[in-house]
Amino acid sequence: MTILSIDTSCDETAVAVTDGNRVLSNIIWSQALLHSKWGGVVPSLAKRAHQERLPWVVSKAVHDSRLTINEIDAIAATIGPGLAIALEVGIAKAKELALKWHKPLIPVNHLEGHILSPLAWSTISNQQLTINNLNFPFAALVVSGGHTELVLVKKIGEYQILVRTIDDALGEALDKAARMLGLGYPGGAVLEKLAKTGNPSTYKLPLPLLGRENQGKFSYSGLKTAFYRLTNEKSLTKQEIYDLAASFQNTSFEHLIRIVKKSVLSLRATLQTGRGNPEITDFLVGGGVASNIELRKRLRNLGKKFGLKIHFPYSKKLCTDNAAMIGLAGQWAFARGELKRTKEEIESIDRIPGLDFSLGLPLSRA
Amino acid sequence: MKILNLKETSKHDATAQSVKILRAEGLVIYPTETVYGAGVDATNPAAVKKLGEYKSRPFGKPFSIAVADWKMAEKYVVLNETAKKLYRQFLPGPLTIISKLKTLNSSNPSNHFLSPGVASEAGTLGIRISSYPLVAKIVRSLGRPITATSANEAYKKRPYQISDILFNISDRKKQLIDLIIDAGELPRNEPSTVIDTTLDDQTVLRQGDIQLKDKIHILSRTPENTQNLAKELWQKYEGFVGKRAIIFALEGQLGAGKTEFTKGLARAMGIKKEITSPTFNLVNHYSLLFTPYSLLHIDAWRLESSSELGSLDFSKTISDKSVIAVEWADRVTNVIRRYQEEAVIIWVKIKYGKSKNDRLISWGIF
Repeated sequence: MTILSIDTSCDETAVAVTDGNRVLSNIIWSQALLHSKWGGVVPSLAKRAHQERLPWVVSKAVHDSRLTINEIDAIAATIGPGLAIALEVGIAKAKELALKWHKPLIPVNHLEGHILSPLAWSTISNQQLTINNLNFPFAALVVSGGHTELVLVKKIGEYQILVRTIDDALGEALDKAARMLGLGYPGGAVLEKLAKTGNPSTYKLPLPLLGRENQGKFSYSGLKTAFYRLTNEKSLTKQEIYDLAASFQNTSFEHLIRIVKKSVLSLRATLQTGRGNPEITDFLVGGGVASNIELRKRLRNLGKKFGLKIHFPYSKKLCTDNAAMIGLAGQWAFARGELKRTKEEIESIDRIPGLDFSLGLPLSRA
Repeated sequence: MKILNLKETSKHDATAQSVKILRAEGLVIYPTETVYGAGVDATNPAAVKKLGEYKSRPFGKPFSIAVADWKMAEKYVVLNETAKKLYRQFLPGPLTIISKLKTLNSSNPSNHFLSPGVASEAGTLGIRISSYPLVAKIVRSLGRPITATSANEAYKKRPYQISDILFNISDRKKQLIDLIIDAGELPRNEPSTVIDTTLDDQTVLRQGDIQLKDKIHILSRTPENTQNLAKELWQKYEGFVGKRAIIFALEGQLGAGKTEFTKGLARAMGIKKEITSPTFNLVNHYSLLFTPYSLLHIDAWRLESSSELGSLDFSKTISDKSVIAVEWADRVTNVIRRYQEEAVIIWVKIKYGKSKNDRLISWGIF
């Protein structure tokens, strides 16, 4: 089925058109340029920017998909989690289009989008992952500026969060470390570049929750504090900046990998004692940090060692916040019947900034 | 569990009955010039273990003791000049003074009699000489120190009356109490000020009514200490809940512990959900079961100008009488000040201290 999807959960204005798993168009207008040099967000400006840009981004997405409005089956929109005043702009637009074009509207959980993003196919490549290639249950990792979650996917639409951060998200920690090095905000991508030239063992940073891996938690605030101690009020040489960047990235990834490894292994142990013999063999990775080459390398190594097939989204644009993943998740939500058809139903859709998988379902509230 | 009402019992009788129970390894709830205390014979390991169970405390977290006088204190600790000055000036009174334990040797076997788990693992001990006559009477008559910890469970309501205690503990815990000395409702004095005299400078670890300097600040040595301060401040102002909004305006560098503070606040409010960094979402919302009030956790770091707080529905949260923790409050000071009439605003400043985990935390209502 063909879906036009909208995501305005935070800074990016994103609209896409998908046909099943195939991404026909995926337009992202980033607000990063709009905000100041170190990346402040102006909520009201963000809201206005979403409002001003959405019409253009929608028509660009439709145009690039080469579909006509008639050929689009449904509209999907992110309803949470995210920034309330940003979410409501995308939802309002989706309602307007659904009513104007007489299409059903599908509310989608942003996190479910990230989880399923490796299932997206490009229009040109024939390397295609389908849910038939996946063994259920499988594990998924979402790493971004707002998320650090390891999730057990029992089936599409049924999720259990195994591990989450108790303080900062991984992407947020990388961005803040970059900020401490004077690299701007969000500077995670710059940090990655500089880390390549740095020596990751020059600076000793404490590995978070060392020896407590089985508590099932990610934590980055202690690492951030230790890093602040190293960088504060010092003028740093270029090489020092490279080494610090490499050290921070190395430690933050090592923590992630340790916890993921521990959790997947203990998950395998639990599942094997249960009925049947479901083995975790597939591992999906989504979110902005999933485009980090070093992290990909480490996850692939982990996969090799423990017989996990690691699946990443096919492009960087599917890692950062985007709408294509919302269209993708939307098709299964549609199949589950999570859609609104009548004017009344459509208008009743509301933003849920703190949306969670609290009952295992994508749209259950905290 | 027996309850003695001081209105109907003579002080002499109350003392005699308490001593009898303390000698038999019993747990006595007793009134002081601050809050109700939970006392056991501090030299009896079985009694101290029972108290640990009652307070749900992990072994190794120390208890302060109440002694009758200076002389009894010197049986257990070494009083340096700083400590002596404080004893002279403030005791008996609502002050807990931490000193180094006397070392064990043949000429001085006395602290041999203190039960394990009373002094800290670092070899320090907190001592109280209460100005509440009954406490001194009991200790003197027992001839040994008793524990001087508050009678509530950690993170629960301050015990100013017996019902504050009994309403908040399980039946199993009630069974651990052998005697309650009920002096009715105590005046709402702060818990004792806690001062550490074992460091180079005398350092306030908890601020009560006794104030050493014009400027209030405490030393936090662990994230747990920071959480604990948040709890103390919450307990001090929770009476305003539902009457006015309560704002904790937090200032401090990256990694100083602003989110840690908020974790303690949430825990004291009874919020079970994990508090994570609000940097990405700008605002996180936590609701409480059974009450209409909620906690809003706002991060102003990414805001470009203070007026942007308005777009996050800030004035509505004030009129809803929410509890609000604002990180990077110094970036939005002028907007917060606008609500001085409608809200109780507590400014909390967290600064990095000398050694790695030290934080100096000051607060006030300006």
